[in-house]
Amino acid sequence: MSVFQSQARVVLTLSWRNLWRNSRRTGIMLGAIAVGVWAMIFMTALMRGMVDDMLNQGIRNLPGHIQVQHPAFLDDPSVVNSIAEPDSEFRASLDRLGAVRWSTRIKVPAVIASERETRGINLIGIEPAAEDDISGLPALMDTGRFLESDQDQGLIVGARLAERLETRLGKRVVIMSQDPANNIRERGFRIVGIYRAKLPELEEFNVYAARDTLQQLLHIEGRVSQIIVVGDDYRDIEPLYQRLRQLLPATLEARAWYQIDSYLAAMFKMMDGFVLVWIIIIFLALSFGLVNTLVMAIFERVREIGLILALGMRPGLIVYQILLESLLLLLIGLAIGNGIAYASIKPLQGGLDISAVAEGMAMMGASSVLYPKLLAADMILANVVVIVLGIVTSILPAWRAARLDPLRALNAT
Amino acid sequence: MSTIVCKQICKTFRQGDEIITGLDHVDISVETGDFLCLSGPSGSGKTTLLNAIGGLDTPDSGEIYMGDLRIDRLERGALADMRLHHIGFVFQAYNLIPVLSAQENVEFVMQIQGMVAHERAQKARAILAEVGLEGMERRRPAQLSGGQQQRVAVARAIVSQPDLVLADEPTANLDSVASAQLMGLFSKLNQDHHITFIIATHDKRVMSYARRLIKMQDGKIISDEAQ
Amino acid sequence: MNNVILRMAWRNLWRHGKRTWLTVGAMIFSNSLLVFSISLQFGSYEMMIDNSLQAFSGHIQLQHPAYLEQPKIRYAIDNVTDRAQRLRDTLELTSISARAAGFALASSRDRSYGLQILGVDARHEPLVSTLPGLIRRGRYLEPGAREEIVIGSVLARNLRIDIGDELSFLGSGFDDSFAAGVVTVVGIFESGNADLDRSVAQVNLVYFQDSFAMGDAGNSIVIRAAQIDDVEPLMSRLKAELQGSDKVVARDWNELQPGLRQAIRADMTSAWFMYAVLIVLVAFSVLNTQLMSVLERTREFGTMMALGLRPARLARLVMLETGMMTAVGLLLGIGLGALITAYLSVVGFSYPGMAEMSVKFNLPERMYPAISLLSLSLGPLIVACGSLLAAIYPALRLNRLLPIEAMRAV
Repeated sequence: MSVFQSQARVVLTLSWRNLWRNSRRTGIMLGAIAVGVWAMIFMTALMRGMVDDMLNQGIRNLPGHIQVQHPAFLDDPSVVNSIAEPDSEFRASLDRLGAVRWSTRIKVPAVIASERETRGINLIGIEPAAEDDISGLPALMDTGRFLESDQDQGLIVGARLAERLETRLGKRVVIMSQDPANNIRERGFRIVGIYRAKLPELEEFNVYAARDTLQQLLHIEGRVSQIIVVGDDYRDIEPLYQRLRQLLPATLEARAWYQIDSYLAAMFKMMDGFVLVWIIIIFLALSFGLVNTLVMAIFERVREIGLILALGMRPGLIVYQILLESLLLLLIGLAIGNGIAYASIKPLQGGLDISAVAEGMAMMGASSVLYPKLLAADMILANVVVIVLGIVTSILPAWRAARLDPLRALNAT
Repeated sequence: MSTIVCKQICKTFRQGDEIITGLDHVDISVETGDFLCLSGPSGSGKTTLLNAIGGLDTPDSGEIYMGDLRIDRLERGALADMRLHHIGFVFQAYNLIPVLSAQENVEFVMQIQGMVAHERAQKARAILAEVGLEGMERRRPAQLSGGQQQRVAVARAIVSQPDLVLADEPTANLDSVASAQLMGLFSKLNQDHHITFIIATHDKRVMSYARRLIKMQDGKIISDEAQ
Repeated sequence: MNNVILRMAWRNLWRHGKRTWLTVGAMIFSNSLLVFSISLQFGSYEMMIDNSLQAFSGHIQLQHPAYLEQPKIRYAIDNVTDRAQRLRDTLELTSISARAAGFALASSRDRSYGLQILGVDARHEPLVSTLPGLIRRGRYLEPGAREEIVIGSVLARNLRIDIGDELSFLGSGFDDSFAAGVVTVVGIFESGNADLDRSVAQVNLVYFQDSFAMGDAGNSIVIRAAQIDDVEPLMSRLKAELQGSDKVVARDWNELQPGLRQAIRADMTSAWFMYAVLIVLVAFSVLNTQLMSVLERTREFGTMMALGLRPARLARLVMLETGMMTAVGLLLGIGLGALITAYLSVVGFSYPGMAEMSVKFNLPERMYPAISLLSLSLGPLIVACGSLLAAIYPALRLNRLLPIEAMRAV
């Protein structure tokens, strides 16, 4: 056993036993740390869950992680700014891209008219087989059926739109839109399915039909508005985005979700900042108590520290001893706090019903059931912040204790 | 490095507006194996001299040597090392670390020195037996009497075979029986282990054990005689 | 309670100056943070409500009972212009304006889009909505003028039209007849809200009534109150006046925009969770300090009890000390919080990503916290209550003290 190990042992013994000398004070401080750490993790998990839900939904509504389109489409989402359907070579390279799914779609402004009402809508032409991965629409179907093929003749509308139009499943409606030559094209569709979106306003605007059917209607055979690409995880879309961009001819423009919707991008970026700020604020509130505890612990044993110094312990070891005491306190507090956090989040994994504020959540873009999301990275961040900053705040009291003059300390009353 | 030599050491303190002379040009030399008592009324400078020799306090002027090593100019860390390896202390009171058991208190210094665990434990148990505390190794200081506490302190002071043991009023808080036992222990250890003892005291009974008695007054040595 | 006790409590507090300051420090930190964030919250809620309501819906609307659920043109109010005028007279409020709304397909030379066309009273509309003030190019509608339209900037871009260009619209009118017309774009507004800028256009109410075959009817009368607190008295007056009518009801902003209040409530809930954590942590600090202070003075308390002081009296002393400490934390915390908040209420406050957030909630890009007596005192007062509650346990421990034992304690 080296000198270092031997010293470490004695320092550890002293720290541990000193910690329990005033067990009430230590207990209260442990309580404070545990509550603080619990709040850090619990709140972060709730916020993460909410923002994750907002982002997932937001991205499904865009839809897709990356959209490829005509450069002018963004400013002028008209049928004129369409692109050619990928040829076989392009399809092959899209397949090799490593995306979970890619699909083409048509998106044009249109007017829908029932016998009683007329509304402006987004008319969307989809490849039904891909839609599960892209917008999740099939899972939102309320009544009727989903589209079955690219040539399906049916129409899918939102429940709210159906209500506004005073129409229902099985009824016919008329869709009007423009072809590239500015002629109004119109055609009757039978409503074959009605969906309910988590965000009600979408139900009013998005109307779905099969892609080939719309190509026929709009006289744009072989052309689409967008290519939608979905990767594994929206957080880590950059490699896929870069590969895709290299693949594209200059006439096509690719945009990642965070470029398409700046609100989603802002939420995503702000979340990490929010987590850090929250953790640090709680830590600061804790730090006063932590320093207080240490200062009092040192105050109570000034004579003892004098004795240890007189016996020949180097001042550096005193610093270590007090820092270790603080570290032990933090570690136990963290263990309890993490435990409570885990125990309180676990039962909520099935979702926390907050439908009392459903429309408010909808305004923020989130749904009315909150699924807390406990990320390992957040837990690690909270623990690391508490340990690192905790040690940093303890350095001053520890250093001052080590600077004590052994003689004066020994004779202190 | 066992001979201790102090040359012309001076030390003054400030107390309010007054300047108090602690040590006034003190010359002293202590040989290995000495058993020496510093006596004098309180404020005579005996504790100050003891602390200066022990490296707990630095004189304003003068030189202190331990063998060839000049110790009055060492920095805090080096002084700590010197105390750790060469000097044992017994204070008047509050000698033990309350969170450690008797045996752990005795082992403390050796542990910081980095001694192997089993060797350390063996030595500690042996020395506790030698000071008459067999069977009390696991007791905490609060569970020991004043005399027993002082004996643990002595055991700790001598266990790592220091060159020098400094004791400041070691019997002040003890009754006469415990005092006599403690002093008997000191002389025995001095004879058996050839450890130098310097004891500051104003207890006449303690002085009777010393082989050399130095009387101090107002920071000066007024007599220095063997007995 | 006499002077000696007060003086004693105050001195006891500073026996461990460092400890007291650390506890007071925790209070100051939490209090100033609470003052700042509550002021910011109040400020942003106020702005969120004002901006959202002023943009379009107003504070109160008179509507056909079915219109809220099903905003269809045929759920209308008769004689809407006269009604609005009568309301202006009886309520002595000018910011009241009549509207009608319908859906139509708007076509320029080479594009068509579906949109909502509003018929508005051009004289009074600027008093209830901020939209007329957001004309970026051209001008707003002239009262009474026919065949004029103002549209949003996104719609103008999508339709590829500009000021002076013609626009034809085609919709279904009041009696399910075709409603059609050709109008000239006289102004383009830009609200920053892409939905509004893409999907709303305004024409004069008389022209709308003619084109959509509405006669003298309209769909709503929009009332903008001078301030949010006026809404309740206005509502009760309106309700009294409309009693017995099954054709018209009054809806306040909660009914018109339920999301708004709920968004505020959701935000409040999460904010108060965070505040509660801060308050609990301060309470822990106080509990720790006061318990230590009581335990280390056991001997002293024993002496005082031996002198004949009742434990309850000592408990009061401990509470008094806590009260003093809390008061110092309260005053300094409010002071510091007010300074920070006052500074930010002048220069404004912003954080990365706020610009994108604010558009969504109708907020400006910089926020200005609103200092009020309530926002200054609410948080710190709760912290003070928490602190006093936390001191109860240490104070009660004194009742268990017996003088002899206490005096023997070290």
